[in-house]
Amino acid sequence: MEYRNGKIGVKGDPSKSMTTAEAGFMAFMGDNLPPGLEPGMDATRRFEPPNFVFPFGTHVCVVEVDAKTGQVEFVKYLAVDDCGRLLNPMIVEGQVHGGIAQGLSQAMFEEVVYDGDGQLLTGTLMDYAIPHAEQVPHYDLDHTVTATTVNPLGIKGVGEAGTIGSTPAVANAVMDALAPFGVVHIDMPLKPEKLWTAMHAKNGRAR
Amino acid sequence: MIPAAFDYVRASSVDDAIRLLGEHGDDAKLLAGGHSLIPMMKLRLAAPAMLIDITGIPQLDAIRVDGNRVTIGALTKHAALAASDALKKTAPALWDAANQLGDPQVRNRGTIGGASAHGDPSADYPAVLLALDATFTVVGKGGERKLRAGDFFREMFDTALGAGEVLTAIAFDAAPKSAYVKYHHPASHYAVVGAAAVLTLNGGSIATARVAIAGVGDSAFRAGGVESALAGVRGSDEAAVAAACAGTASGQDARSDTFASGAYRAAMADVFTARAVAQAASR
Ligand SMILES: Cc1cc2nc3c(=O)[nH]c(=O)nc-3n(C[C@H](O)[C@H](O)[C@H](O)COP(=O)(O)OP(=O)(O)OC[C@H]3O[C@@H](n4cnc5c(N)ncnc54)[C@H](O)[C@@H]3O)c2cc1C
Repeated sequence: MEYRNGKIGVKGDPSKSMTTAEAGFMAFMGDNLPPGLEPGMDATRRFEPPNFVFPFGTHVCVVEVDAKTGQVEFVKYLAVDDCGRLLNPMIVEGQVHGGIAQGLSQAMFEEVVYDGDGQLLTGTLMDYAIPHAEQVPHYDLDHTVTATTVNPLGIKGVGEAGTIGSTPAVANAVMDALAPFGVVHIDMPLKPEKLWTAMHAKNGRAR
Repeated sequence: MIPAAFDYVRASSVDDAIRLLGEHGDDAKLLAGGHSLIPMMKLRLAAPAMLIDITGIPQLDAIRVDGNRVTIGALTKHAALAASDALKKTAPALWDAANQLGDPQVRNRGTIGGASAHGDPSADYPAVLLALDATFTVVGKGGERKLRAGDFFREMFDTALGAGEVLTAIAFDAAPKSAYVKYHHPASHYAVVGAAAVLTLNGGSIATARVAIAGVGDSAFRAGGVESALAGVRGSDEAAVAAACAGTASGQDARSDTFASGAYRAAMADVFTARAVAQAASR
């Protein structure tokens, strides 16, 4: 067989050929195949890159903490990620947006709470907080492009870039805001009451 | 998440609703926007055998301003209140509450009558209607009763509405110097704390104040001590307003849940009351 002019043909016989679509349809229908030949036409190739890829990036978050309530407001969020060549920039941005939201949700909101009898108290989305659109900041995104040499496309992963960057960026921003109160650590999620209590315990002037 | 079996009937008038309530007794529930009742039924916290749909009753969904008096029909939707310029002018506190209640889907279905009749301690309107000293018109077999907000709201999920009665209207005097500020629960967006302030001013000083709190007690409540402490305070004097608003929740057994303890809620009641007072004074 040979591939010529967009068709699959019998070598040396220019009269015998069909398009790949025709061949695929015949293989799929399977009712006109030589005896013993299974229907279907697929092939699997596996590519083992010679090394890992190393996407990297930097996320910066600016927050304001209301000393009277412990409520946190996002002022700015900037993320610069390097996932190599961007084949579809819109999908890359979407991945980063979703990842940042998920990561900041871990830092600020999400918590599974059980009572002393093992009863789940946060069993519905009326109790278990996942941020709505208005509870997350605007994201300023940018990219550097450092193509990897370990695959022919120069691409690196981006799926986890948002979550990996945002949880510590958000948590560290909040802890930085609380530094003047002498607070150095609070377990996530950084719920307002915890921040308020920590500010009060360390420093009466929060009131 | 699937309710128990129930029947459904549409009432054509208030009298028809009262007749149907009498016919079906304790098994029946009025259905307005369904945004409190249906979730309760899906969780099987309520299992009425008969739903009497009152949303088709005409003329119960109007916002009327007659001189200084504002009257709101029980079937008026949150979205209509939130979009009303007349309400924004005459009672900005209620307008604030409507704009911050739930999400667009909830605002497009839920009604002020249902939200009041439900008696949810985390709901927004009860605090505002207490601060407005609103009058509730309730109609039953024996005729019409008028109840003041202080008598209407009783305890968690309990109001002065009788079993066979329909709430038809809520009325109050215009209160242009009023505001409602809300601490949103991050998941439900109900009030962790909601503070309503209705003021009259003399120059820049507060002449009279009515203050009510949602989210903290078993029902919304008036903060009488704070109301008297506010008299004579300049609305723009942040420190003096804050001092007058200390102890808003005193005498209340502040509720606690997975998001906020009672002590934190009580402290936030002071903070949000001071903000509501400052905002009302600046209007
Ligand atoms: C996702 C979600 C978020 C929400 N967030 C908030 C919030 O942030 N703040 C807030 O305050 N509320 C919130 N709500 C509740 C919302 O305000 C409801 O619309 C309201 O509590 C009930 O009004 P309804 O018209 O839907 O009444 P329904 O659910 O139909 O009825 C509620 C109760 O009132 C009775 N009833 C209704 N109308 C009358 C009447 N005219 N006379 C006598 N009894 C009557 C019914 O029999 C029933 O017992 C939320 C609801 C949902 C689902």
